[in-house]
Amino acid sequence: MNYADKFKKTFFTENPVTGMLLGMCPTLAVTSSAENGIGMGLATTFVLMGSNLVISLLRNIIPARVRIPAFIVVIATFVTIVDMGLQATLFELHKTLGLFIPLIVVNCIILGRAEAFASKNSVLQSFIDGLFNGLGFTFSLFILGTIREILGSGAILGMTFIPENFRTVLLFVLAPGAFITLGFMLVGMNRISKALGGK
Amino acid sequence: MGKQESGLKVILVLVLIAMFSAILLAYVNQVTREPIAANKKAETQKAIKVVLAGLKDISYPENPTDIQIDNSGAGYFEAKYDNGKTAGYAVIVKGPGGFTNDFDMMVGLDSSGKIIDTYVLDHKETPGLGDGMQKEPFKNQFRGRQLNDTEWKVKKDKGDIDAITAATITSRAFTKGVWRALQVYKTLREDQK
Repeated sequence: MNYADKFKKTFFTENPVTGMLLGMCPTLAVTSSAENGIGMGLATTFVLMGSNLVISLLRNIIPARVRIPAFIVVIATFVTIVDMGLQATLFELHKTLGLFIPLIVVNCIILGRAEAFASKNSVLQSFIDGLFNGLGFTFSLFILGTIREILGSGAILGMTFIPENFRTVLLFVLAPGAFITLGFMLVGMNRISKALGGK
Repeated sequence: MGKQESGLKVILVLVLIAMFSAILLAYVNQVTREPIAANKKAETQKAIKVVLAGLKDISYPENPTDIQIDNSGAGYFEAKYDNGKTAGYAVIVKGPGGFTNDFDMMVGLDSSGKIIDTYVLDHKETPGLGDGMQKEPFKNQFRGRQLNDTEWKVKKDKGDIDAITAATITSRAFTKGVWRALQVYKTLREDQK
């Protein structure tokens, strides 16, 4: 496998968020700060690697007729592990992400990779595919979260850099801000993707 | 993947996958149960320290005592001095009807019923707006207030509490939560008489 090419694809031209517009629910909902974005991204990456690995292992056993339910059970198992693991280790982060962790189950990226890649490729390749796509997802969420945090809360990774009484653009931590920022981000990422020779 | 598998194989594979998932999850649940419970307890203990700040040489039970107030479940920790006298209460109540849903908060009261401090345990209010209830300017106005010296409503509803800008609903729920905690105090005091 060509890693440089894979990197270019998953981070830019076929990035889960900006290239394929998958997983919009967590993308828009949790990116009110950069830290939340990274947390959600890494949780998804873990699930993606785990589910890709197991589904690739079982690709010759799972009957085609019931592959979707089988995939969902595998994915849901990993999500539950993440949910309980986060609660046991990073309690504070779990408090902010709480509601969205169970929703990783229905994140299209994961089912998408299972269907399009893991069910047709070798175990190692699927595992790496999961890692790259997960990191690509994290990358987009981090950028989105950082922009919204700077404009909306006047902080970078929780560190405030503006004076106490300075009013920030609150809109950006709210839902409309997520859509606006994502829109501009798509424009930028499409430019970069074109420059890189994708689509 | 084959073309058309027999029904038996389909069922068998699904059952096996589900079974392995269940076993794995049972194991993970067992491993994480204690750390999770410990984390929750640590959070509560941290909250008690905050809301009863300033009271010296006190001890309080490990688990809250349950109580019903305003048709809603609440709990309290009674803090005592070494000589057995009541130093104050840390009351856990629900702030009813927040912007997303009810949230859990803790209110610390000294033995005369004055509010020492407040702490939000678990909430899903809007970041940047509703979560201002955890910040200084809003929290500060509650300190030192009592049940009878305050109209427990936000200013918009002709009360005494300054609501957070653009988060009146959260402020209302928070104020109601504090009021509930004061009701718990009142009930406890009446029981003692």
